[in-house]
Amino acid sequence: MQNKLDKQSIKYNYVKGKKIIEEIDMTIDLTFDGNIAAMKIDGILNSENAHILQEKLTEVMQSNASMLELDLLDCRNISSTGIGKILLFYKDFISKGGEIEVVRSSNSVYDLFSMLKLNQLFTVNLG
Amino acid sequence: MVDDSIAIVNSLEAILGISGYKVDTAYSGSDALRKIHQIDYDLVICDIEMPGLSGLEFLGRVREEFDRNLDVILMTGYLEHDYFIEAIRLGASDFIRKPIDTKHMISSIRELIFRKQNRDEKSEFFGHLDKAAFTFEMPAKKFSKLGVSKVFSNYMRQYFRVGPKVLNELLVCVDEMIYNAYIHGTLNLSVRERALTHEALQDVIDKRMENPEIRERKVTFAFVVDNLQQCIEVCVEDEGDGFDFESWLETIRTEQIHDIEGHGRGLAMLYHLSDEMIFEREGRKVKIKKSLIASDADEGY
Repeated sequence: MQNKLDKQSIKYNYVKGKKIIEEIDMTIDLTFDGNIAAMKIDGILNSENAHILQEKLTEVMQSNASMLELDLLDCRNISSTGIGKILLFYKDFISKGGEIEVVRSSNSVYDLFSMLKLNQLFTVNLG
Repeated sequence: MVDDSIAIVNSLEAILGISGYKVDTAYSGSDALRKIHQIDYDLVICDIEMPGLSGLEFLGRVREEFDRNLDVILMTGYLEHDYFIEAIRLGASDFIRKPIDTKHMISSIRELIFRKQNRDEKSEFFGHLDKAAFTFEMPAKKFSKLGVSKVFSNYMRQYFRVGPKVLNELLVCVDEMIYNAYIHGTLNLSVRERALTHEALQDVIDKRMENPEIRERKVTFAFVVDNLQQCIEVCVEDEGDGFDFESWLETIRTEQIHDIEGHGRGLAMLYHLSDEMIFEREGRKVKIKKSLIASDADEGY
């Protein structure tokens, strides 16, 4: 839905938008298609916003999805807290027969996952 | 001034010219991108709805390929809320509605150029120093209100020349160091507590903060940019009990680090992402050093 912009709404949306971005500096888009959950993470995933990822992963766990496709192409980096959330989810998800695949990742995230040897747990694709 | 409408570009060029601004023009996002790679502009005013590269795509490309600090004002008549969020996330400096309110446009330009001059002066100042040192002392009781990573990121982006790959790695290191100092050193949270949901964890933290000894603890975050050596030293110190860092270092050096329970993953990342990692004061103080020189691998990040 589109909103016509006037001076007031520009100011309102700008301040509101800035606040949202400043609070999270990261966005997660989660969609479901049959038994596939597709999650796209943009920005920087760190200890300050990892709880948002945890909430989204809980949503996947509670769904009927048996495959989680992670798109990390626009994810500039992930701290150990974020990785911890993914691994705890992985442990529970595979125990109920689920699978994870990183379908795309940025260079920095790919390097990080390789360094931590997470590519031995699930498929991690670059680019 | 970037707009696919020649009439709009010409009229805004004339208005800004009368106000004393020197204006260059482009009629597409790709033409504008080519120009900003060649010329050092103070700011860019760009229409969002353009054929080919849209204003948002143009902004994304500027941030990705060129300069995080180049101010970009977006012009639009209609915009979905999600686009607004995306534009701000990409770092749009301001929005101007169409039809253009020239008074608003000129006041926005004036403000952004003033800020840029201020930024450039500071950047030049820091660039001339041999070393620049910053220290932040953070009380535990106010810690949740302090977005340390963002403050650090802003300092580094605005005042120092750091490639995106090095900056990304530094941001991970700072996050690990601060998080460890708060979660382990200050609050002494168990593995079970750390795995709680956000709300449940906040309850645990609030409970811990009722203890005056914990509430009065501080975390000190400091960094020194050494322009001569082209490196940075980051140091974080807490007032907790410390830990057996030597055995952890031994584990990190010898073992695989993808254990799901997550012991030591943060330290392992610090160890691998920094050039040097030093512990002092029984583990209460950790210091890393990292080169600020971008490697060839930085290209394309």
